[in-house]
This record gives sequence, structure tokens and C-alpha cells, in this order.
Amino acid sequence: MPWPTTRRLIGTKIQRLDGVEKATGRAKYAFDIKRPRMLFAKVIRSPHAHATIKSIDTAAAEKVAGYRALYQIKKAGASVFFAGDEILAIAADTEEHLEDCVRAVRIEYTVQPHAVREDDALRSKTNTTGGPGGNNINAAGDFSTDNFENAFNGLAATHQADYGVGVISHQCLESHGLVAEWDAKQENLTVWASTQAVPNTAEGLRVHFKLKPGQVKCITNYMGGGFGSKFGPDIQGIAAAELARTTRQAVKLMLDRAEEVTVGGIRPSAYGNVKIGATKEGQIRAYEVECHGTGGISRGATVSFAILPYVYGPAIPNIKRRHRVARTNIQIARAMRAPNHPQNSILTELAIDDLAARLNINPMTLRLANLPPNDQAEAQANPRTFVGQRATIYRTEIEIIRKMCGWDRAWHAPGQGGKGVVKTGLGMALHTWGGGGRGPNPTRVTINQNGTVVAQSSSQDLGTAQRTVTAIIVAEILGLQPTDITVNLGDSSFGPSTPSGGSTTCPGTSPAILKAAETARDAFLTSLAGRLNVQRNQLSIAPGVVVNMANNQRIPFRQACGMLNVASIQGNGDWPTQKELQGNAKLREEWTTRLSNQGVGGVQIAEVKVDTETGVVKCSRFWAVQDCGLIINKLACESQVAGGVIMGLNYALYEECIYDRATGRQVNPNMEFYKLAGIADMPSIKVHMHDMPERGVIGIGEPPTIATAAAVGNAIFNATGVRVPIAPYTPERVLAALANRRAGNG
Amino acid sequence: MNDQETPSTSPSRRDFLYGTGAAAAATAVTGLAVAETPAAEVQPAGATPASGPGALKVTLNVNGREVQANLEPRVTLLDALRNYLDVTGCKRVCDRATCGACTVTLDGKVVYACTVLAIEAQGKQIRTAESLFNEGKPDAVPAAFVRADAQQCGFCTPGFVVAMKTVLQDNPQATPAQIEKGLQGNICRCGTYEQMRDAIYALCNQKRT
Ligand code: FES
Ligand code: FES
Repeated sequence: MPWPTTRRLIGTKIQRLDGVEKATGRAKYAFDIKRPRMLFAKVIRSPHAHATIKSIDTAAAEKVAGYRALYQIKKAGASVFFAGDEILAIAADTEEHLEDCVRAVRIEYTVQPHAVREDDALRSKTNTTGGPGGNNINAAGDFSTDNFENAFNGLAATHQADYGVGVISHQCLESHGLVAEWDAKQENLTVWASTQAVPNTAEGLRVHFKLKPGQVKCITNYMGGGFGSKFGPDIQGIAAAELARTTRQAVKLMLDRAEEVTVGGIRPSAYGNVKIGATKEGQIRAYEVECHGTGGISRGATVSFAILPYVYGPAIPNIKRRHRVARTNIQIARAMRAPNHPQNSILTELAIDDLAARLNINPMTLRLANLPPNDQAEAQANPRTFVGQRATIYRTEIEIIRKMCGWDRAWHAPGQGGKGVVKTGLGMALHTWGGGGRGPNPTRVTINQNGTVVAQSSSQDLGTAQRTVTAIIVAEILGLQPTDITVNLGDSSFGPSTPSGGSTTCPGTSPAILKAAETARDAFLTSLAGRLNVQRNQLSIAPGVVVNMANNQRIPFRQACGMLNVASIQGNGDWPTQKELQGNAKLREEWTTRLSNQGVGGVQIAEVKVDTETGVVKCSRFWAVQDCGLIINKLACESQVAGGVIMGLNYALYEECIYDRATGRQVNPNMEFYKLAGIADMPSIKVHMHDMPERGVIGIGEPPTIATAAAVGNAIFNATGVRVPIAPYTPERVLAALANRRAGNG
Repeated sequence: MNDQETPSTSPSRRDFLYGTGAAAAATAVTGLAVAETPAAEVQPAGATPASGPGALKVTLNVNGREVQANLEPRVTLLDALRNYLDVTGCKRVCDRATCGACTVTLDGKVVYACTVLAIEAQGKQIRTAESLFNEGKPDAVPAAFVRADAQQCGFCTPGFVVAMKTVLQDNPQATPAQIEKGLQGNICRCGTYEQMRDAIYALCNQKRT
């Protein structure tokens, strides 16, 4: 079952099917659902970063007008480990009454010591974050190649410096939450949830309530952003469903903005001291990093340890790395768009440019000299794998972007960014991401006698245009237009599907959609052949028609549907099982290296203007070259890349969660002091998709956000000749770095 | 969230509206927390008579239709539209005049519906993004968003669409730079600004270079 070799729709630019509904405000997100007699609920949270609950008094709250029910999450005596930790949830008839109820709850705490900054956590002599261990530190990795002691001996240039980036928050515009409603018998639960994993969310609730499969239904027709933070019901979703059961009424519980920022997810920080060295020809021979970071109370690593140094690792013979996790009294980290990769990028790419400056080499040349080599064995076994051709892909992409941005003309040595106050510079960085798909993603395509076509799967459209992807593939196979296809997604009763994380949705669903469409087409033509008294192989599909080769008749599709003697024809498609894939090399090759694939590279270049008097950095132009195998919808694909770049520019220049050491609280859990770019802050972004259709479908969500911040950091260095070590590169930090240089330290 | 000693860092927008100024702000706790009971409202001389705190009948003109709801005076226009009238094109995101997701027009002027009280909007023409879909067709502005793919999750989009439509209504000859200026009160997390510029240039019949 290959992808069609001539493609009428796949790979072209196709508008979103649901674009008009969304742009005119008629699309109903979970946040917009209104059920009859619906109540509102809110979680009451700890204001302390670390405390034990002394007492909880809800007597006054229960007397407030409109009060309906409460659900206890933590009892007196329990500990809370971050400001925002859940204690109980209340439901009331209106949001106004709900506020009154919340205000009337009295909770007393015994406040305990906390640590919300990485350095405090690293110094802590006690464990303030719960779980095992006598302090807040986790050893998260220690690795060295053999004989590393001599790695830097005799190298022409070495550079050692600190680099890092702070904690950021997902800031989904639609906050986390759901509307829960039980049926009259209190047996079946329906939730309308803002989630990037529809079946997982239903399953999480099913397990909590000890129900049988099928008793919980999750619906997500539209979804206002997840970025890796929305994979299950979460505590507040369970609370809403509990309150709905107690009150026998529908309950809506969506986080408010402050909650969204303080409990809706963070990307961990990473700070490292890096030493890098190369020969005078520019061969990087050694890389050493000692790094740490925090993902709140999480024990997980805050960098992708095994691939640090990032991208170039396979080309560098001597590597030493050590990583410690500083556990802090902050919410637990959640996966965020390319988890840990932007941190890896910062700890690698900035050091490369600093090394290039020491060597007096153009940083593009230095990168070209240190690309991860094509893995020859892999290349021979299967020419479509990423590792088998990564150097070739990067080289091609660098060549494209070099011309796009006029690098040869525009690049100058660091610090030569102009005579005036405002300095201009260019910086680049590379990235890589897996982005492979898998099953199960059962998809059903139905061709109806009345000429309509419906495609259905439980997968979700996060704004990735998954609905449109589905329609494009089905329309391609049936000779129709995407607008001819009705796509029903985001309903857990449609069966399993894989969560939308790690850029896996498009590669995970597309082959299943293709198979369903082809199965439906074949059944349709077989049935039609019977009606027309011809052989099946005398019928084929052309745009808009069924062609009967027996008499050269072209029957319009709708008319052909009308000839069916059944109400509808169905085609189901899904991946082979994991077991089937394991046991069958040919099948595995087909599904994971032809229909879909994994592994992409990308190159990004930023042009910045740095005002050396105010410290303000403006990204003035940006270029991104990206491969992602077979592109299904070029329009949405380019949108994803530009959107990833913009998220990366926010990371580079504006956004950061700031925690107050004294109170242990985040001081900017909002949108006025948690800075995100508006349209005027953003440059024009030129995207070039490096099309590689022979590789099959690969995901695109994560990769384009990875290299952006490092490219900006390098552009600032190129403009000013001064390295600003820590992102986001705020005016304060830029001025501090410039002053440091003037003082002779930089 | 009821710790009396909690220092004041960021009064919630609602409290600010609730009490008439400083007294209320002083009792608010963190942005995370819900504020303490506000001080008694002060009635400034010459102001319209106080209404509430109970619910009263409020009549609003939404997208050309007169609709009524029983609302407490503290209910914002945004919450009235969303929670009481089921008009949800205006989204609640920051709920305090930063993001623009709640943008609607009042007598043709853009406002953040989260920062207007419903009772203040009486007697005015309220228009939301839903008004830009008529007879099965989107208005030119949302249509341009769709054509340029200037939306991903779409949660911010109705707010941007209303803001852009208003700029063009006020000045049909607006330049791309002027339209962009009219969007500076809106934030998109998915990062659709590049495509939004395509939409702007298309609406101005100009080629982007
Ligand atoms: S919700 Fe009104 S401006 Fe953000
Ligand atoms: S499209 Fe998602 S926030 Fe703008």
C-alpha cells in the first residue's frame, strides 16, 4: 500500500476545513460548552510553596448562596509542595456565587521551608519537595568517553563559558479543564475536555471511577492549545466529574489564567558550564558540560542527556557530561513542544559560535565541518532512514538557507554589527527530532448511497489541521475535494488513537487513513462492478468520477454512489499490531520507513538588531528550512513551522516564569508580566520546506521550535561581539553583558 | 487561599471592579488566590444610584438581537455573553485586559469584554465574531484568515478578527501597517502572526515582499 505517486492534493496548500467556524467564533471548544443546569467549579489551592495543612474549614462556604458541593482533594495533615497545589474543589450555581464560596473557605497551614530557585535547591540541606532523599538534588546523568582527561590537549582553540535558559510555561490560551456530565442513572460519564489525548482522558476518568470500558466518553471537537501539557483528565478534571456525580448536574471546571500558568505545565530550565575545543582546521574534538536545571518537583532530567552535545554529538570523539536535577517547590514539569531539546540546543549551539570566533572561522563553515556523519550501514540497509543521510540533509538545507538569507554577503565577524547604536547580526542553529508515528489509530471511511463521505477517528485536532489532513488523504484516494469529506474526530467512542505528543499524530494517523480510504474505495468499486455487471478491475477512480473502462463511461461520483444497493460502504484502516511489525521486516519497512518515518533535521537563521543603549533586541528577519518527509498539507505545514519559530522567539526574547525567593510564589502568573510577543514584535519569517516524499509522513510540531532561541542568541553575539549567557535575552541581561565586556570581563 | 497574612501582589481584575478602588485592591492577595471580602463600596457623589448586589434584569443588544438575562451587577460583559447568553466567540483567557481574546465591539468601538461590566453595556450595540458570518458565508476578514491559514488552535482568532474588522470598518483604506497596529492588543500563543500578515496584505490588495 504505497502513497500515490502522482498526487493531486497531498502536498499542496489546502485551507482548513474548520477555519470558518473557528474564525467566526462558532466553533465550540470545551471552554464554550454550556449544558442544561450546568454548575461551575473551582479548585482551592495552597498559597504556600511548602506547607502542611493544619485545618480546613468549609462551614461558612457551605452556607453561601449558590453553594452546591465540595470535593476534598487533600485532608488536614497532608503536605503541599508548591504554591498552587490542590486542596479541594467547590461547585456552585454561578461563577459569581462560586467566587463567594471560595472566598469563605478557611485553611490554616504550617509553613515549611521551600526552594524555588535552582541555586537554593542545589544548596538545600533538606528535602523540601517530598519523596525519597535528604535534599533536593537528583543525579540525572554522568557520562564520559574513555580517556577524557587528555581530550583538550594540543587543541588549537578551546572555549569555556556558562549558558542557560529559565523556566517557561505552556500558556495555552484555552486553559486546562473540562465539562463533566453523568447520565440519569449515574452510570455513564461524558466529558468535553481540552485535551491532546482524547481516549487517554476518558481512560483516566474510567480508572478513577472504576467503570467498565465504554462508560466514559470524552469529546474534543476543537482544542485551544496544548503544546504537550494536556494528556489526561488531571486532578481538576477528576474533581469536576466527582462534583458532577455528587450534584447530579453538569459541572464546568476550567482553570483561570493564574492557575493555568502555575499548574498547567512548565518547560524545565537548564544551565550549564560548557567547554569545547577544536583543531585549527575546525574539527571539534572535545565537548564537556556540567549542567543542572529544574522541572519543579519533577525528578526527571531537564536536558536530553544522551544527545548532549546536540546534533553534532556523533561527530565529536571526546564527550563528558554531568547533569543534576534541582528539585524546587514549583509545579511538576510537563512535556513541552520538543521536550528538553531547546535546552540541549542552547547548551550546544552557543558554544559552537563562541568556538568559531576563537578559531576565526565562519560559524556556518564550522558547522559544515562537524555535521553528524551519514551512518553508512544504515544507509545501505535502508536509504530512507534519517541517520543514513543526516549529513546530506543538513548540508542540503544549509545550502538552501545560505542562499535564502544571503549569508555570504550579510554575515560579518562577531562585533562588526555596525557603527551606530543599533547593531545588526546573523546567527544560526541546527536541530533534529524523531517525530515517528505508530498505531493504533483505527480510522473508518464511509461512502454513503447519497454521495456523502464520512471519515472518523478518535484522534484530535489541536490546531494542527488534523481534520484537514484526514480529508485530504481520503479525497485524494476517492477523487474528491477535501470539502466533500465530513471528518468526525475527537470522540473516544470512535475507538483508540495515539496521544498527540512528540509530533506523532500525522505519521501515526496518515497511513491508517490511507488504508481506510483505499479499503473503502475497493469495496465501493467491487460493489459497483456488481451493479454494472463488469469486472472490478474495469472500474477506476479519476477526479470526480468513476471510470468504467468497459465502455469508457465516466460516472460522476455522487451518481455512482446512488447505484449502490446498500445504504453505505465502509472501509476500516489501522496499523499492524506491534507484534506483527516486530515479526515482519517487510511490513515494518513499509509502515515505518515508507508510509511513515521518523527523524528530521532543520536549519534556522535569525537576523537581530540590538540597541546597545537600551539593550532591546528585535528579531528583524528569520529563515527556517525544514524537512518532514512527505508533506500532506503544505499550507498547514508552513504554519506549524512559522508558529514553532514564533514560540522559539518568545523563548529567546520574552517569556520566563519568575519565582519569588521569599514567598515561593510565581510573581507573573498572568499575561501582562509573563511576556508573549504580539504581531509587531515578530519578524517576517521565511519558511522553506525541504520536501522528501520518498521518506513517508513525519511529524512537524516539535522541530521548528528547537533551534530558534540558539539562533537568536548567536545573532546577538554576532551583532555585538558579546555573549549574553542566559535566555531570555532581555534588555537587562543584554545591558549587563555589554557592561561586563566594557569592564574587561567578557 | 485564605491566608490573611498573604501580601498583596496582584489584585484580580474583578476585585478592582468590585470595590471602587484602593480599599479593594489593598485586600487582594496573589494572582493565584481569590481576594478577601472587599470593603464596602463607596458611592461617589453624582454617580448613578448603586444597583445590586443581587441579580437584576439586564437587557443587551447582541449582534442585532435584544436579549435579557438576570445578572448580578458584578458580572462582566464577557461572562454575561459566555455564561448566560451562550455567545462564546469571545474567549476568556487572561480575564484582565491583556490578551484580546475577548475582543468585541460596543457601538463600533473595540473593547475587552472582560473589562466591561454587562450593566454598562446596556443600550449599546454589542458585536462579536459571530456577527461576521451571514447567510452561510464568512465576512471578508474571517475569510482572509482562513485563506492565509492565519489560525492554528483558533482560540485567539475571533478576537483578532473582530479587532481587524473594526480597523477596516473605521478606515476601509487602512494600510497593512495601520491594520497591524490595530492588532497590538491581541496575543496568539500558536504563533500565527506570519500568516496573519498574509491575510492583512490580501485584504489590502497588496503583495507582500
Ligand atoms: S480575556 Fe479579556 S483581554 Fe484577555
Ligand atoms: S491560533 Fe492558537 S492562540 Fe492563536
